[in-house]
Amino acid sequence: MKTKHILPAVFLTPAMVILAVLALVPTVYAVVISFQDRELSRPDGQFVGLANYLSLFSDRRFINAIQVSLSWEVLTVVLTLVMAIGLGILLFECTTPKVRNLLSLLFLVPVILPRVSAAFVWKFAFHPLYGIITYPYKALTGQPLDLLSNPLTALGTVALVDVWQWGLFFSVIVLKLLETLPPQPFEAARLDHAKTWEIYAYVAIPMLKAPLISLAFVKMIESLRAFDLIYVMTRGGPGISTETLDMYAFSQGFIESGRISYASSMAVLMMVATSIAFTFIWKRARI
Amino acid sequence: MSNRHIGRTVGKVALALAAFSAVFPVFWTVLNAFKNRVDIVTPTPLFIFTPTLDNFAYVLGRDSVFAGLLNSVIISGMAVLIGTVLGLPAAYAIARYPNRWSKDIQFFVLSLRFLPPVAVAIPLMVIWLDFGFYDTRLSMIITYTLLTLATVVWLSVPAFSRVPKEVEEAARVDGYGPFAVFFLIALPIASRSLIGAVAFSFVLVWNEFLIALMLTTSDAKTLPIVASELTQLGRDVPWGILNASVVLLSIPPLLFIGVLSGMLNSAFKRKSS
Repeated sequence: MKTKHILPAVFLTPAMVILAVLALVPTVYAVVISFQDRELSRPDGQFVGLANYLSLFSDRRFINAIQVSLSWEVLTVVLTLVMAIGLGILLFECTTPKVRNLLSLLFLVPVILPRVSAAFVWKFAFHPLYGIITYPYKALTGQPLDLLSNPLTALGTVALVDVWQWGLFFSVIVLKLLETLPPQPFEAARLDHAKTWEIYAYVAIPMLKAPLISLAFVKMIESLRAFDLIYVMTRGGPGISTETLDMYAFSQGFIESGRISYASSMAVLMMVATSIAFTFIWKRARI
Repeated sequence: MSNRHIGRTVGKVALALAAFSAVFPVFWTVLNAFKNRVDIVTPTPLFIFTPTLDNFAYVLGRDSVFAGLLNSVIISGMAVLIGTVLGLPAAYAIARYPNRWSKDIQFFVLSLRFLPPVAVAIPLMVIWLDFGFYDTRLSMIITYTLLTLATVVWLSVPAFSRVPKEVEEAARVDGYGPFAVFFLIALPIASRSLIGAVAFSFVLVWNEFLIALMLTTSDAKTLPIVASELTQLGRDVPWGILNASVVLLSIPPLLFIGVLSGMLNSAFKRKSS
């Protein structure tokens, strides 16, 4: 039906060449640098093989960063999904169409905000002396509440901001997913006198299992970029209690020592982890 | 029956709280941006105060903020422009002229969206230093084009697929060539979704932080970097000024909230039909 035409070549080639160059050159560079001992102050690096990767595993701060990143992943992914499913069901169940549209719009506000803005808004809200969130505690006990300077609460407090942005946004997606479900199974369950929560727990959520798992993977990848929030709110502190992998790679490569090769080896590991997770989502979405 | 009623009321209260939490912190920041320092640094939060424009006047009058704003506008604007001009045709070719690589191309494009920024920023820092383009608008525009181009292609493929094939066939029967079909038929019909895709790519680069932090030090600093530096100012933090700069930074992305929400709606309508 369609004759061969030059259009696809003309339209595709420039974009694909640019994307390939812009994506592959840095990736190859990252791998090459990670096999050298290059530093910012010293442009010429020697080939050192796997030395950077090997020293990573005896580096306590790197092990700490992995632990912090894992806690961060678990906290933000689980809380985001719980909040999204909970609020999504409530949006589906208890709203009139007008209210539903309004709330769907309002729930997008946090995720559209620049993360630097979100981080600052909450950093100020959690300020021990002038913050609006900590105010009730201060008024009741007379003591200031400094959540961001406490190693036990700092990570959870920053995670709250991430969940605020993504949980509300994903609840709108869960609502849209629920709206796509056919009404018959709901009606059948209702005829069987199923309680509302039973309908969701045993009918609706299992029907949405595949897209919800995809959402979880998207959030897992998205949570790997915790940097902006942590940089503005705690800078990895107090101590190294909120130093995630990207924060540590940044400080190794940029601020403290300029060990660009060492930082690169971390970046390469993160890239590998992301690629595996992403390939998994892609395969799932296709089936 | 009454149990269900109580459940609904609890649900409505929870939704109201969620809506409050979504909007109140933003509202509070806007409020603080209009306060004098004495009205912010109070033992009890103040809702009633004499508003002032001093913070905004100070922020807009500061050279660093103005330079950051200008850099952000130029860098994001150019990156979005290049991403759109090259991305829309590419997306159309993928949607309408599928070949055996189409799936791989889509996989490649979408995987770029998920690259960890730190993994892109570290090698790019070295590359731009080696080439002598470090901390320039040019290097930032090129780097951000990777983000905008990938995003525009990814979101525009479904937009072009939704254009009814019959309309394009009819135009072809009327003697339109393939390029004319793209420019005169497909582009206008898909325009609403395409605007959403372009707006999304703009919000993405306007908000971008980590890459800009590592690729700029003074000349090409974007607004998020300048704003984040304000938060690091010593002990006597100028809270009002800070709030004003956060408001300034957040306005452009929030302007697009309607467009983005519309895009979300149409994305899911397609799946259900």
